[in-house]
Amino acid sequence: MATHRFTFSQSLQVVLAIGWADFVLKYRGSILGYFWSLIGPLVRFLVILLIFGPYVSSSIPLYPLYLFLGIIIWEHFTVTTNGCMGMLFEKEGIVQRHPFPHFLLILAVGWTNLIIFATHLVIFALFAWYFQAHFTLNALLLPLILVQMTFIALGVGMVLASYCLKYRDVCHLWGIAIQILFWLTPIMYPYRAQETATKSIVSFFQQPGFHPLRQYLDLFIHFQPISIIINDARRLALYPGSSGVPTLLHLTGLTLICIMFFLLGKWLFDRRSPYFAQEY
Amino acid sequence: MPDIAIDCRNLVKFFRKQKIPIRLLQDRILRHRLHGERIQIDALRGLSLTVHQGEWIGLFGPNGSGKSTLLKVLAGIIKPDYGTVQINGRLSCFFELGVGFHSERRADENIYLHGLLQGMRRREILQMTDHIIDVAGVRSHCNLPLKCYSTGMRFRLAFAAASQVDADIFLFDEILAVGDTQFQLQCWEHLASLKRSGKTGLLVSHNLNDLKKTCDRILFIDHGQITGSLEEEALKAERSPDAVPEVIGRI
Repeated sequence: MATHRFTFSQSLQVVLAIGWADFVLKYRGSILGYFWSLIGPLVRFLVILLIFGPYVSSSIPLYPLYLFLGIIIWEHFTVTTNGCMGMLFEKEGIVQRHPFPHFLLILAVGWTNLIIFATHLVIFALFAWYFQAHFTLNALLLPLILVQMTFIALGVGMVLASYCLKYRDVCHLWGIAIQILFWLTPIMYPYRAQETATKSIVSFFQQPGFHPLRQYLDLFIHFQPISIIINDARRLALYPGSSGVPTLLHLTGLTLICIMFFLLGKWLFDRRSPYFAQEY
Repeated sequence: MPDIAIDCRNLVKFFRKQKIPIRLLQDRILRHRLHGERIQIDALRGLSLTVHQGEWIGLFGPNGSGKSTLLKVLAGIIKPDYGTVQINGRLSCFFELGVGFHSERRADENIYLHGLLQGMRRREILQMTDHIIDVAGVRSHCNLPLKCYSTGMRFRLAFAAASQVDADIFLFDEILAVGDTQFQLQCWEHLASLKRSGKTGLLVSHNLNDLKKTCDRILFIDHGQITGSLEEEALKAERSPDAVPEVIGRI
């Protein structure tokens, strides 16, 4: 029907241009410039390190790096999901008055935040050099983690964006959910990486003093994808020797799960997007 | 149907809304009964329209009559509930001047993004950027962000960017109701040149005289239906030979 079809190359150009323009505009005109993007994660990092660090740092080697890597990956997830919702409000003119595949706006959010995350990773590398962490070749797999996180964040972001115009409190509710999820992700505390999935599930109902809520939370913390992604990143970058690197099967399986999240989000977003223009 | 640019049949679009709108998820879950009563707004009621290639159609009607909804359905922004739309040719629509423009970006950056959104290729946009800046007369400000431009300069830049889009069918929704006399003259001259070059157009306006000057046919729309029309012969009889100076007189 109707409008001009965007070819793959045109779509790519649109995504790259909008994403880059948003990245540049975010900091244009501000005195601190790019460093604004660092302030949020950096403050969180310092607060946790100074307050909680003394209690957990003895059980986690290279704790500042462990914490910083967890925080920047987490930040990428939250900023991207919030960005997907914010994009529909920021680009109201385009959504309401321009025949345009809205999905490209979501990809542009992913691209903008990928640039920011990549710069955060460079800062992490500088930290690692300062703390004399030894990188191995396994660290070259870190971009895969970045891709996994982008897929899952965009998938969740698209689900939220599908309804954030219809129900204006979705952004607010997601803010609350994010707070809860932060504590249910092993960002500042250790992840029990040694147990295999099967062993954990079998032992789940056999533990002494079985407490349903606590056990379910434990299971959730252990197996929710963001926990696994963050844990994989740490295994690749910080502890390839002691924790062992993720196997190819594990990485492939997790990537497929992330792609599934993405496709589910896209399916819902595509179904809902024809109604966006009338929901403002 | 080689000579038909737009063909839509039996278009129906209705909006079902709660009498007290639900805007919050918590209301949907917790206070659903309070918001139960629904109303239906029939924006388009079985509207059919055929536009031939090279033909310019004006759509005239009161607010809420369905003109803009019709354009949005034709553009693919809103999905009709029933009916079919067939477009033969590349479509370009202007429902607002400067869609995608950002006040912190420079003229060339805004032109680039605007062009991409219109489906133009990178090389095409880069080739015509200087020309657009010259046509808009904003060369002196081209290194400044858009927020430093006067309102008139912004309109001129937006229109210059919009007018360079290469398309077969153009949809305009009240975009010519803005700007000063000179700007409006420039716009009408451009529309006339598009018409001379064989492009097809659909114009929405609240000013019947403006439509009479450019359009071959004017359709009156009310309550989502075509209620009448002014055909080409009648318009020719009414049309003044010095149409453009008349705009100045009216303003």
